[in-house]
Amino acid sequence: MECGRHLNIEILTLSEVVAVTGQAGAFSVTVKKNPRFIDMDKCIACGICSQKCPKKVDDEFNMGISKRKAAYIQYGQTVPLKYAIDPKTCLFTTKGKCRACEKFCPTGAINFDDKEEIQTFSVGSLILSPGYKPFDPAGIDFYGYGKIPDVVTGLEYERMLSPGGPFHGHLEKPSDHKEPKNIAWIQCVGSRSTNRCENGYCSSVCCMYAMKQALITAAHLPDGGRQTLFYMDIRSHGKEFELYYNYAKEHDIRFVRARPHTIEPGPGNTGVTMRYVTEDGRQLKEDFDMAVLSVGMEASADALDLSQKTGIELTAYNFAKTGSFTPVSSSRDGIFVSGCFKGPMNIPSSVAVASAASAEASKALISAKGTLTREKKYPAEKDLSGQPPRIGVFVCSCGSNIAGVVDVAAVVDYAKTLPYVVHAENNMFACSTDTQELLAKVIGEQNLNRIVIAACTPRTHEPLFQDTLKEAGLNGYLVEMANIRNHNSWVHQKQPEKATAKAMDQVRMAAAKVGLAFPIQELQVNVVQKALVIGGGVAGMNAALGLADQGYETMLLEKTDALGGNAWHLSTTAKNEKIRPMLEQLIQKVESHERIEILKNARLTSSTGTVGNFTSSIQIGNESREIQYGAAVLATGARESEPTEFMYGEDARIMTHLEFEKELAERKDRVQSAGSAVFIQCVGSRNTRRPYCSRVCCTHSVQNAITLKTLNPSMNVYVLYRDMRTYGTREDLYTEARRRGVVFIRYDLENPPLVAKTDGALTVKVTDPILGMPLELTTDYLILAAAIVPNETRELVELYKCAVNADGFLNEAHPKLRPVDMAVDGLFIAGLCTYPKPIDESISQAKAAVARANVILSQNVMQLDAIKSFVTDHCDGCALCLDVCPYRAITLTQHSDNGHTAKKISTDKALCKGCGLCAATCPKRGVMVHGFTTEQLRAQVYAALDLIG
Amino acid sequence: MIEIRVGKLAKMLGIHRNTVRNWIKNGELDATPMVGKRYGIGRESFTRFLESKGVAKNMILELMADAAKTPGPGKTAKPETPIIQKEVRMLDKPVGSVMVVGGGIAGIQASLDLADSGYYVYLLEKGPGIGGGMARLDKTFPTNDCAM
Amino acid sequence: MSEPFEPKIIGFLCNWCAYAGGDLAGISRIQYPPNMRAIRVMCSGMVHPELVVEALTKGADGVMVMG
Repeated sequence: MECGRHLNIEILTLSEVVAVTGQAGAFSVTVKKNPRFIDMDKCIACGICSQKCPKKVDDEFNMGISKRKAAYIQYGQTVPLKYAIDPKTCLFTTKGKCRACEKFCPTGAINFDDKEEIQTFSVGSLILSPGYKPFDPAGIDFYGYGKIPDVVTGLEYERMLSPGGPFHGHLEKPSDHKEPKNIAWIQCVGSRSTNRCENGYCSSVCCMYAMKQALITAAHLPDGGRQTLFYMDIRSHGKEFELYYNYAKEHDIRFVRARPHTIEPGPGNTGVTMRYVTEDGRQLKEDFDMAVLSVGMEASADALDLSQKTGIELTAYNFAKTGSFTPVSSSRDGIFVSGCFKGPMNIPSSVAVASAASAEASKALISAKGTLTREKKYPAEKDLSGQPPRIGVFVCSCGSNIAGVVDVAAVVDYAKTLPYVVHAENNMFACSTDTQELLAKVIGEQNLNRIVIAACTPRTHEPLFQDTLKEAGLNGYLVEMANIRNHNSWVHQKQPEKATAKAMDQVRMAAAKVGLAFPIQELQVNVVQKALVIGGGVAGMNAALGLADQGYETMLLEKTDALGGNAWHLSTTAKNEKIRPMLEQLIQKVESHERIEILKNARLTSSTGTVGNFTSSIQIGNESREIQYGAAVLATGARESEPTEFMYGEDARIMTHLEFEKELAERKDRVQSAGSAVFIQCVGSRNTRRPYCSRVCCTHSVQNAITLKTLNPSMNVYVLYRDMRTYGTREDLYTEARRRGVVFIRYDLENPPLVAKTDGALTVKVTDPILGMPLELTTDYLILAAAIVPNETRELVELYKCAVNADGFLNEAHPKLRPVDMAVDGLFIAGLCTYPKPIDESISQAKAAVARANVILSQNVMQLDAIKSFVTDHCDGCALCLDVCPYRAITLTQHSDNGHTAKKISTDKALCKGCGLCAATCPKRGVMVHGFTTEQLRAQVYAALDLIG
Repeated sequence: MIEIRVGKLAKMLGIHRNTVRNWIKNGELDATPMVGKRYGIGRESFTRFLESKGVAKNMILELMADAAKTPGPGKTAKPETPIIQKEVRMLDKPVGSVMVVGGGIAGIQASLDLADSGYYVYLLEKGPGIGGGMARLDKTFPTNDCAM
Repeated sequence: MSEPFEPKIIGFLCNWCAYAGGDLAGISRIQYPPNMRAIRVMCSGMVHPELVVEALTKGADGVMVMG
């Protein structure tokens, strides 16, 4: 996690907000910092304090399934990787004796004099993301949680599955530690219920996590066991989620539509016995080895406390109050909210709203941008050309972590015998600040030009040593780490001799590799501080406005002659806010913004260049012009599809959602006088042709059903659905619709409703799943929830070489962690073009795209990663590598050389991610990856086999 | 000529130490680096600079007196409360830093975005380490990537 | 042959998954035999088949490509 090392992020752990005074732009935040009792500067995370600590307590990280010590870290990869002493359980802080940790700590980091501190910070904005609390099912007696050992919550089960968890990834029943074969998941525990808990909303994430757990469990067991999910509606309304659901069904995960009403201890006091009623009314009893309660999310007590201290308003469910058009703004100016504090949401949504919050938080502070940040400056690099390698080897003891197993002195002596090694020494802690100074000094004195650090893992520590090298005037890529701790001393504790031999091998391999290392220059790009937004809908306009507000000249490209897109056809949001006034205001702001240039009837016709510096041709009407920009946001949108089923087009009373919106707006009287209306869901979605869920239609139908019931309470309103997907707090609308008498009838894909016209009357036949009987409904309106399909983007995809999924939606760089970035650096996505979504989520994404683009545009010069492929003289243009490159970074070029035309490949440094697929494909060593050349890897192989030379 | 220390001056003015560093870096505050983390500065130019920033006369005198004092070893003079309470009084600009409360995935993402685009971030976390709920997850769907 | 057979295994470990897994094994103190020599790569896809063959012909008893 890059946060821990960031020059401009100060992590304040064990801290909480006490008070916030001042106003937007200049807040004064009082913070209470609780004592850690361990000096973070001295702690080297060796874990000895924890080993020696005699006090065992429940480990809250593992949901209390395992124990930890009073001196602890939360988990193996904690940032900052520093231990802490829990004053509530520590024997010394509670009973006044022990201090074992203090005695054994090799660096003297334990400090029992550490005290609570109150500090004040001046900040321009605040972002609150205190997260959620998993629902505690202990209060609901019929689940037996807390009484029956084999009933666990979803989060507890998550830890049980984890290789880093309490059972090291071996599945065990809590009751008798035997492997469970058939497990039942119970959905909506603590969600969608106003009966036993007050959480009327849907927690949105549990369906997917339960399916994931069921699939992983099945994969764990030799024969897959028998995994069952008890559910009310499966809500797989996210991108590729429906495919995952189908995959689970195909892989023998059993889905049962029922809510178990009683869980009792199973036979022999192990496992559980469950009673449930099926949809058709049968009473069933079934035994399972375990029951997992898919608990939902709740507002945490911390969040409540924080909202009071910061003075922001909450909703009835104690989530932060936000508007659909201002999705990350709290009720107090200058304070923004993100993550599950806004309401239950999954990881990609959390990440997107977090970025959106950062865009909003920075917007007001632009004039102070860069005033408090620092940049690191390094001395010029020494010229090493023509010099033979002079390798220095530094072997870390890591206190006793390495030295306790590996004979470090012997490793140092051995290192001195290796070719090109001119210096070798042992350090107590290679990572300590004084060793860094020593390292720089020795590099200078001994004129070293290659460094081997035999210590821990390069994944966490390589950047530190690269930094030290740079400060000493060496290129950062001239260091190689031999991981003699994580990959050696820690895993071979009982075989010290073999561990020492392995450490020598590791040092030899590292030295062989680093001897062939050459300085790598990080690529620099001069950033054009202008932005391009493609698509003039709500997402595109919000992105353009955000970028322009951040101070960048922005071009907004719209293919039609009007801004606004789909929003023109929508009346209200799920929170019942009117869309039209917002839209008109938005268009007005965009049109009058001095830094936004609107290009209507325009399309992109070419694109060259890369992140920070793109050049494109655009065509506006008959004119063509060239533009330059540093980053682009693609917000090309989507549209309602035209149904091919349910007699659409054959009768004026059959209409799509958007057509019905128009009918409601223009012919309210006619709608009001109708005797009945039928909504059919999933028209053209969730079938073989379009396997995805269109996400917004359930809410939209339910909302319109309520509108109809409000206009005319005696109207018969039916919603024919497959799974009702009113996720999050939209569930309240579903509850409201049922309360008002809207009739919901479920149908299956295999047995869809039949629409017919007899004597001018429109009838819909559907089988009622509860009665098992066919029903015939006569209706005045038939409203079809037509699928949302992406707008055509083939041209753009070709120009930018970006990716789309099988359904034609643009793809993000990472489905969880980079929801608005595209795989091509410098390109971002927002709105419906990635997946169907309601307006608030589109706006969040647009704002998030602004924050992500801002990271690029705020720099004058951009540093690119240095680990890239490069073409060697051996390349003869056979072009085998072109097809394997997943980033389409390789092109075939022709050039003439003394009259001969020769073909050769060239790699695009900005597109290349350094994966090396090309290098592995090339039969002639024509292309390689910096820092991992075939020679270097070969040298490591040879060195591993002790064949030096 | 008097000696100032960046951290101390920042603390006394109630502003961020990077503000002072940036003043020095961009030449607004004409100070020359000296031994340790000290900077040397002429009395007059220091006074003029403070005046230009709108610091009150009596505070300037206090600051000068304090800067002239060289505290003995082990006895660092720590002002009880900062002389200037809020940065806005000195600068008519907003403060270029943001506090993010909560070190879960959302807090981390917000912090990185801000820090990467020119703002100083304080990331506040109640527990001993950041990571939040996501660190607990075994794998994430649909790719079944490791959550770490 | 008095010494028991100790295989020499070359492991190519992807930086993002297998190598990280190795790190985690360390943090969890999971013990395993010390016969593998790990080579870190940025992607298991960058391991040239030639290298695998070469390792085997030059005396490796096994090659693992993990990613």
